[in-house]
Amino acid sequence: MRRFPWLAAMAVCVIALTAVLAPVLLLASPVRIDIAHRLGGASAAHPLGRDELGRDELSRLIWGARSSLTVAFGASLLAGVIGIGFGVLGGFFRGVVELLTVRTMDIVLCFPPLLLALLVVTVLGPGIGTLIPVLALLFLPGFTRVAYAGVLATRALDYVEAVRVLGVHPTRIMLRTILPNIGGPLFVQFSLAVAAGVILESGLSFLGLGVVPPTPSWGLMIGAARATMTQDPALLLWPCLALSGTVLSINALCDGLGERADPHGVVRWRRSGLLGALLPGLAPPAGAVLALADLTVAIETPSGTIHPVREVSLSVGAGETLALVGESGSGKTLTGLALLGVLPDAARVTTGAAWLEGREILRLDPAARRTLTGSRLAMIFQDPTSSLNPLHRVGAQIVEAIRAHQRIGRRAACIRALSLLRKVGIADPEQRLDAFPHELSGGMRQRVMIAIAIANEPRLIVADEPTTALDVTIQAQILDLLATLQRTSGLAMIFITHSLPVVAEIAERVAVMYAGEIVEEGAVAEVFAEPRHPYTSALLASAPDEGGSPPRPIPGTIPQPHALPKGCAFTPRCPRVLAACEATHPPLLAIAAGHRSRCIRATEA
Amino acid sequence: MIAPLVAAEGVGRVFGQRGLFSGRRPVAAVAEVSLTVGRGEAVGLVGESGSGKSTIGRILLGLLPPSEGRVLFDGIDLTRIRGAALRRLRRRMQLVFQDPYVSLDPHRRVGAQIADGLTIHGLAAGAAATARAAAFLEEVGLQPEHAKRYPHQFSGGQRQRIGIARALATGPDFLVADEPVSALDVSAQAQILALLADLRRRRGLAMLFISHDLPAVRHLCSRVVVLYLGRVMEEGSTEAVLTSPRHPYTAALLASAPSLDPARRRRSAPLRGEPPSPAKPPTGCVFRTRCRHALPMCEQARPPLRETGTPGHRAACIRDGSDAGGA
Repeated sequence: MRRFPWLAAMAVCVIALTAVLAPVLLLASPVRIDIAHRLGGASAAHPLGRDELGRDELSRLIWGARSSLTVAFGASLLAGVIGIGFGVLGGFFRGVVELLTVRTMDIVLCFPPLLLALLVVTVLGPGIGTLIPVLALLFLPGFTRVAYAGVLATRALDYVEAVRVLGVHPTRIMLRTILPNIGGPLFVQFSLAVAAGVILESGLSFLGLGVVPPTPSWGLMIGAARATMTQDPALLLWPCLALSGTVLSINALCDGLGERADPHGVVRWRRSGLLGALLPGLAPPAGAVLALADLTVAIETPSGTIHPVREVSLSVGAGETLALVGESGSGKTLTGLALLGVLPDAARVTTGAAWLEGREILRLDPAARRTLTGSRLAMIFQDPTSSLNPLHRVGAQIVEAIRAHQRIGRRAACIRALSLLRKVGIADPEQRLDAFPHELSGGMRQRVMIAIAIANEPRLIVADEPTTALDVTIQAQILDLLATLQRTSGLAMIFITHSLPVVAEIAERVAVMYAGEIVEEGAVAEVFAEPRHPYTSALLASAPDEGGSPPRPIPGTIPQPHALPKGCAFTPRCPRVLAACEATHPPLLAIAAGHRSRCIRATEA
Repeated sequence: MIAPLVAAEGVGRVFGQRGLFSGRRPVAAVAEVSLTVGRGEAVGLVGESGSGKSTIGRILLGLLPPSEGRVLFDGIDLTRIRGAALRRLRRRMQLVFQDPYVSLDPHRRVGAQIADGLTIHGLAAGAAATARAAAFLEEVGLQPEHAKRYPHQFSGGQRQRIGIARALATGPDFLVADEPVSALDVSAQAQILALLADLRRRRGLAMLFISHDLPAVRHLCSRVVVLYLGRVMEEGSTEAVLTSPRHPYTAALLASAPSLDPARRRRSAPLRGEPPSPAKPPTGCVFRTRCRHALPMCEQARPPLRETGTPGHRAACIRDGSDAGGA
């Protein structure tokens, strides 16, 4: 959770207290006119000097804050309470309630705001009592719309449905569940309203439609100082400074409160353009399409630097599929992202090297990286819904992917896109080119993603859980398609997944990751038939199988990356643990040709 | 025969018929579904996305009114009660959600969210509710001190445990678990399945377990209902349906699940194409457009659910069904 915004809160408190305490501050009278000393300079009795009628400037500034802030806060609070109420009710109950609350506010929005204010003030006469309701009416639609939009987004979420299932009364759902979750934008709206209120009050008073003289207000002061601007510019400066200082402090306070309302911590990271270490003095192994050596990824967190991927080495040959398997938090996805050069901002590669067909790719500059990804190196993500642009037709997105790397015309690219859609098994490809992503099913969207991935004939595809979001029947089709593509074009694939049956279905080799490290690697048939690391055995036992025995869960959870055990990372959950396992960290050793394990008991019978 | 705890009778649900301005044609998400869940019984409801399985779950909980048919909960017709009476009944039936990342309120401590169910129904209040909430956390395999944490401080599997604890807090008789493991890792999946099986045994919970994956149902449910395009294709004991499916769709669904044994790789996907749009379902048997055994007469009439010979095992296929395993 973010720290409380003390500085901004103190600034707002000081401003508000000064205004409230104005009567007891032993100030000179803000309304006593002394024409003889008009525009008198600063003195001990009048630290900010005197105005055009000889009144004390400091005293007028503080008394002026009273009227300005009363109007701004009063109007914002009034509008906030009513507007949020309207928005929440309208968004929650919809139907007639929505018509009565949100739609009536839309009518208010149709009037030009300043004109509306001028009209009402002219009819009712100026003064603070009129200004507050007038400004509240102006602010009302803003609060209503923000609250309404927030409720619409929140009410469909499962946790709101969950409290409905509990049998909670609608009033309590609105107050306890929905309101706190739309708090952030409402705080921002409130700060905007207060700031606008201070400024509108000044503007209307300046026009003679707000606070009535001689009562001081910042707007009136600015208006009056304008006439004597050339003689005493400081008179203009003070109310302007007060105005902007107040608005800025309120904005900072509301921003801080809004962020604090979010229970997730805000992570600050430092960005390092340079890699932490030099290239390991290794030559790229021959024969592999991709060779990854000693990859370590670091992430800066509030509780220190963690290493969610440590010394990962892999290689994939042409036409081969390597499955990268592990639970969430095992580092499998980060490994893939590091290869593609799209690590999240907080993460960076500290050591390691990766060669794609002999060329080092972890240390590419951004331009070279752009030419590489999407052409020689492509990716397929888990969720095709969020990785396709919802506003563009799928044909245009495929054409864009082709033309980003190939110098061909739009027409030629379109023809190519068509043949790609046919290749990934989309029925009626001519019609589908003009479809938007939302018009396609999940399986078809994933086929489009695959078409984009193979558009520039890549050598390596990194597929991150490409079938996890799909139905089993569609998953079978997509796995089928990937296998066919691979057979026909000889591309290499790294297939990241947590599902062991999928691994058995698609991969030749498998690397099992646990807590950021590879714990076992080898041919799928060999590893599945005779696992040589207790974690692999436990994972296999926990997978659902068509055979008789029910899946056996692995007790406990994966250790947190900032609290790794000293020895083997699997010791707290391992059924075969020895004292030696807890003492030293075991290395990944070859136990047979092409089979490596990180267990010290791997070679035991 | 003892009356079942929950019974849906000829339930149907049509979406998109309201609204003056929406030109969409109405979509029948669910049609003519009858199913029962006995006291302490776990029933699996299996189908692809869009098959209407979540809709049925919500209809059984009274969260969504059916367009036709009725739902009886312990003899009470859910379609006839509303407001406070329905809210009181909610204590006895709870829902476990698919995605534990969005089913917990991110702004409230998990202990408070679990205690909600207790305080609302007057089962406990104040310190007693807090203590009970901690006890529920222990019952689902977490530590009592976890009550003070926020949802984002937990892993997916742990969050799902919290979701289950929240559902247990009101002491329900009936639990609808809507794909409770499909958003989780394999090892967490096995843990949650084991937890649900354990809770069912210990508390005698009746359960509707919604899944798109037949193997996940195997060890938890005694009966299974297979759904396609909002209609029941096959139902029966889990053992009978999974070992000798009598509907070609069930057989294809079973064959689609990948096997752990690399030697048993499939040559090709068992089911071609995608489910048709529920807005214009095929005439006759809704599955015939993807069925390998479709006959001309499958277009004529919608086949009713028929007994297959094994008691309680019924399938909606006009063919005898004995060769469905070859699909």
